[in-house]
Amino acid sequence: MSSVPRSMEAEGPGPVEVVDRERRTQASGWWGVALVIATEVTLFACLIATYFYLRFRTSEWPLGGIEKPSVTLPLLFTAMLVASSIPMFLSVRAAKGGAVRAAWWLLLLAAVVQATYLGLQIHLMVDDLNSFSPQANAYGSIYYALIATHHAHVAIGLAIDAWLLWKLAHGITNYRLIALRVAAFYWYFVSVAAIAVVLTQLYPSL
Amino acid sequence: MLVVAGIVFLGAVAMLLVGWFRRGTPGLPFFGESERANTGLVIAFGIAIPLVVLIALFIVSDLYVLNKTDAPEVSSTALTVTVVGHQWWWEARYPAGGVVTANEIHIPARTPVNLVARSVDVIHSFWVPELNRKIDMIPGQSNRIELYAEEPGVYRGQCAEFCGLQHAHMAFEVHAEPRRDFERWLSANGRPAHRATGALARQGQRYFMEDGCAACHTIAGTGAEGTVGPSLTHLAGRETIAADTLPNTPADLFRWIQNPQSVKPGAKMPGLGLGPRKFHAIVAYLTELE
Amino acid sequence: MSVSTPPAASVRLDRLERIWKESPGLLGWLTTVDHKRIGILYFFTSLFFFGAGGVEALLIRTQLIGPNQSTLDPATFNEMMSTHGTTMIFFFVVPMSLGAFGNYLIPLMIGARDMAFPRLNALSYWIYLCAGTFLYVGVFSGNAPGAGWFNYVPLASKAYSPGPGIDFYALSLLFVGISTTLGAINAIVTIFKLRAPGMSLNRMPLFCFAFLAVSFALIFALPALSTALILLELERLLGFHFFIPAAGGAPILWQNLFWIFGHPEVYIIILPAFGIATSIIPTFVRRRMVAFPLVALAEILVAFLGFGVWAHHMFAVGLASATAIYFAAASLVIVIPSGIQLFAWITTIVTGTPRFKTPLLWIIGFIVLFILGGLSGVTFAAIPFDQQTTDTYYVVAHFHYVIFGAAVFPLLGGMYYWFPKVSGRMYYERWGQVSFWLTFVGTNITFFPMHILGLDGMPRRDYTYSPEMGWTGLNLIETLGAYLLALGLLSVFANLAVSLFRGERAGNDPWEGDTLEWSTTSPPPEYNYPVIPKVSSPYAMWDEEDREEDARNLERGRKTLEGGHETPASTAVDAEWDEILEMPSNSAWPPLVALAMTGVFAMVLLQQWVGAAIFVAILLATVGGFHLKEPEEA
Ligand code: HEA
Ligand code: HEA
Ligand code: HEC
Ligand code: CUA
Ligand SMILES: [Cu+2]
Repeated sequence: MSSVPRSMEAEGPGPVEVVDRERRTQASGWWGVALVIATEVTLFACLIATYFYLRFRTSEWPLGGIEKPSVTLPLLFTAMLVASSIPMFLSVRAAKGGAVRAAWWLLLLAAVVQATYLGLQIHLMVDDLNSFSPQANAYGSIYYALIATHHAHVAIGLAIDAWLLWKLAHGITNYRLIALRVAAFYWYFVSVAAIAVVLTQLYPSL
Repeated sequence: MLVVAGIVFLGAVAMLLVGWFRRGTPGLPFFGESERANTGLVIAFGIAIPLVVLIALFIVSDLYVLNKTDAPEVSSTALTVTVVGHQWWWEARYPAGGVVTANEIHIPARTPVNLVARSVDVIHSFWVPELNRKIDMIPGQSNRIELYAEEPGVYRGQCAEFCGLQHAHMAFEVHAEPRRDFERWLSANGRPAHRATGALARQGQRYFMEDGCAACHTIAGTGAEGTVGPSLTHLAGRETIAADTLPNTPADLFRWIQNPQSVKPGAKMPGLGLGPRKFHAIVAYLTELE
Repeated sequence: MSVSTPPAASVRLDRLERIWKESPGLLGWLTTVDHKRIGILYFFTSLFFFGAGGVEALLIRTQLIGPNQSTLDPATFNEMMSTHGTTMIFFFVVPMSLGAFGNYLIPLMIGARDMAFPRLNALSYWIYLCAGTFLYVGVFSGNAPGAGWFNYVPLASKAYSPGPGIDFYALSLLFVGISTTLGAINAIVTIFKLRAPGMSLNRMPLFCFAFLAVSFALIFALPALSTALILLELERLLGFHFFIPAAGGAPILWQNLFWIFGHPEVYIIILPAFGIATSIIPTFVRRRMVAFPLVALAEILVAFLGFGVWAHHMFAVGLASATAIYFAAASLVIVIPSGIQLFAWITTIVTGTPRFKTPLLWIIGFIVLFILGGLSGVTFAAIPFDQQTTDTYYVVAHFHYVIFGAAVFPLLGGMYYWFPKVSGRMYYERWGQVSFWLTFVGTNITFFPMHILGLDGMPRRDYTYSPEMGWTGLNLIETLGAYLLALGLLSVFANLAVSLFRGERAGNDPWEGDTLEWSTTSPPPEYNYPVIPKVSSPYAMWDEEDREEDARNLERGRKTLEGGHETPASTAVDAEWDEILEMPSNSAWPPLVALAMTGVFAMVLLQQWVGAAIFVAILLATVGGFHLKEPEEA
């Protein structure tokens, strides 16, 4: 048993890499986030179910003469967010391989893309708000509720990025590697959620 | 069904008693100590037997009984009645003859009636235990159920879905009558209200129109066209008031209109505090609305 | 520890003692991350809410003691009724079972030194405390919710419930939901990762299977409730439209979302009770559970199937008959796993050599009441019968049999069973048995007549009834029964309270128990086990040679991890030793984070959006602080 690693003490590229290779079950942190994601997925599922529940109670959709959402920009932006998974993925790879600097820059790249995405999305939402309000009717309500929930998730993701960038700037530890991996995991989930959300949002125009 | 439940229950308790009497000795009666026998027992009682019971129950209740008591095709019934739930009273509409009344539903006996259940505010539930199952009254949705009375008579119904302060005092009566009586009732209630005759009653009518009642109540054939409260057009013909809360006697009418909040706290009718003189007059008027 | 500890061992014990010591006094309790202390905090808090819910129940019963009573006015009655249900379900049973029992026992049963995320564990508790306080601030400021525990719209909409009562309800449930979710996650990771090396899944006690199932059920059930509550608050506070038909909303949407959560919730309530039953029975009948794998499977099946039956609470809303029939069928299917477990317990008792001590009495009481309650549940699955009995006292009877009888009895039995372990002292056996019979009789006197009243047409949630209805006699009996029941419960807690100080010393293993917790001292030391226990069956405590090996290991210093604040982590299924984790010690961040959250919820309630934003910032800061020091957990 003396061979069993004290993983949490691992610091610096070498040891961290070893610990990561030797661990046979995912780290507790990974399990924790995986379960958080499970609840979040269910939450989005419920919201989307609500959307269609409301939709199929009426013949008219969108309600109250609100014009159908325009397709191109939202899809474009979503593609952009999904694309940010690539630098995210590479960043994790680099970190595992001990290339901390590379990991840091890749993470920064991803974060920038994600931030721009959020900015553009909010811009779109403001446009929508000028044409119809969430108080207008059930369509408006669920439309904004869904999108805002998604935006909240992106914002949280950005906060995590920022914190990670700060941590990784001071070198790597076992703890930070796990953090980076679960952050990536979280972003993959957000990307998938983004696709589900945007398809629901654009559903009237599809 | 309750019998089946009873048997299952006694069976299980009996086994527990066996456990108590044999507390000294390990193993099963007859089988002795054999894990396979034990597991077998669990499978037999826990899976096999329940399966049989449940499937039987399912077929009888959920397939057979259910569609036997299902709501009828609209066309197939002689009569349709729409009942609208209000906090905390019932409005009944008869498309045939444009009758609108409250808290007392008349139907012909031995005739399947198609009952349409609606609500204007919160969710209520229409329930006459002796005539059929519950059906919820849901705003923005109209549910249907069959109402069928084998025997003429008065059947009590009540609201079964929690609907706020006076959920407890939201009851009504269904009067099932021989066809002829029902027809008579229907045509009588189709007519506008009697005009007040007695001097006091005529005064009462004036107060009713001028002092606010008319804002909420309809009395067909007069100026009163309020819709917040029950139609009083033929109030005197009903046996109870305030959704089966009080008997419809002059004394109770007086008690009610003078201070509804003491009778039915929270009811959507205010005490207008017109003073006994006016109220007596109004009661005199209302009691004439045959 | 006993006097005969060999010197080498006692040195090691002292060392572990020093490493794991938590800071003393009140501060120690505020900043604790020890799962046992947190469990105890959970216990007393949820016990307090049990008291509150009980008092509300007694008020309800007193109002219904006779026709046209005026102990409570209609408004207060509705508030008491709603608060009673909400409190008992969300602030008593679930925290008591998962928070108190789960927290205290899971690490002990799997031979770990703490939960996987000790500080998260503390955070769950503080959030729970704040959420409960939040609700009761509402209650005591005259703003209790009054729309029933499932809070149907439109009655709960602004138009028909203008006061803040419903907001207190919705926000406090959202709030406590966070706590429950974190708790569930923690339990799952703990069970997957922290089982003592050697305790492969098939050697894990059934108790832990039950809690594993519950935790997963919670993860997937709670979001439905959260969604419903968020939509409701958006509608009430910001004028969105989801439930009002006029603007394209749908009242039934609420019912679907609520019950998609609500039915799994009832199995979430019962499963820990099953778990407790499956750990008390073997000890007192001195044999292993019959059909162990079947029972484990059944426990997981119940949690899983629970998601497919929600609309059986909505048979009267006018579902399409096909839909209704599906949900009826599903409700019948779910009987099977319950039946399996039930007969597994009975067979175990029959084939064993039972000692009828207080804990076992409660379990037998539980079995009897669960059968009754379960059977009345099955009758609902006959749609026409349900459409007669729904929203009558027959339903109230059903769920008090299954909730109070089947879910709370094992909790009480468990309190007696583990009391020696937690307190180090024995309770008074005779007294315990008397209290049991008082409560058991009281329960049946209180709740059995409700079946009859229900079939006789008495609707639930009526604040009064008129003498003509002929319901007076039975209601009187029920109320008297409730007083008896309360007396029984009080004597239960009186017994435990007195024993806490006067009871004779218990020793490590007063029951010849079957699971690991009995191998350590009573109460267990901060580090639970000086030696990471060897496990080769689900009844570890009955494998004497393993326990003797532990003792030897202690002397030789094998598997003692006395070098630091450490616990082993093993692989998820086979539990092979994978890594050694460093555990965090006292932290002030959990209570601070919880307070910040409270600020957010309070500001939302008051619709002070600026204030809310400020508290969100504070919250982020505290969460940052929570992650400042590394490595804490990973
Ligand atoms: C601990 C909580 C708990 C448990 C375990 C159960 C168990 C069950 N419940 Fe219950 N239920 C509630 C808590 C619970 N319920 C609550 C709180 C409500 C009301 C909510 C509200 O309206 O406020 C409710 C309401 C409720 C309804 C809606 C009633 C209505 O409002 O109209 C229905 C309908 O199907 C139902 C069904 C069932 C079924 C089929 C089971 C089954 O799981 C029971 C299975 C167990 C057994 C059957 C007994 C043991 C088995 C055997 C002895 C084997 C042999 C048996 C046979 C052959 C039949 N329950
Ligand atoms: C876990 C769930 C739970 C539990 C344990 C109980 C327990 C009890 N309930 Fe419960 N009840 C519900 C859940 C529960 N109930 C729900 C969900 C509803 C539906 C609400 C709704 O319709 O919306 C309901 C509704 C309900 C009604 C119907 C109200 C109505 O429809 O109008 C009634 C009426 O008799 C009732 C009675 C009781 C009684 C007498 C008890 C007794 O068992 C209570 C006994 C407990 C005590 C007497 C407390 C003991 C004392 C202590 C623990 C003190 C110790 C310590 C300190 C004080 C610090 N309950
Ligand atoms: C603000 C509206 C309002 C006003 C004003 C009002 N009522 Fe009412 N009235 C109601 C409502 C609502 C009910 C139903 C109450 C219930 O049963 O819960 C009702 C019920 C009644 C009933 C019982 C009807 C039945 O069939 O149960 C009578 C009689 C009655 N009102 C008479 C009067 C008289 C007389 C006045 C004037 C002095 C009056 N009301 C003023 C709203 C009003
Ligand atoms: Cu209307 Cu209850
Ligand atoms: Cu259910």
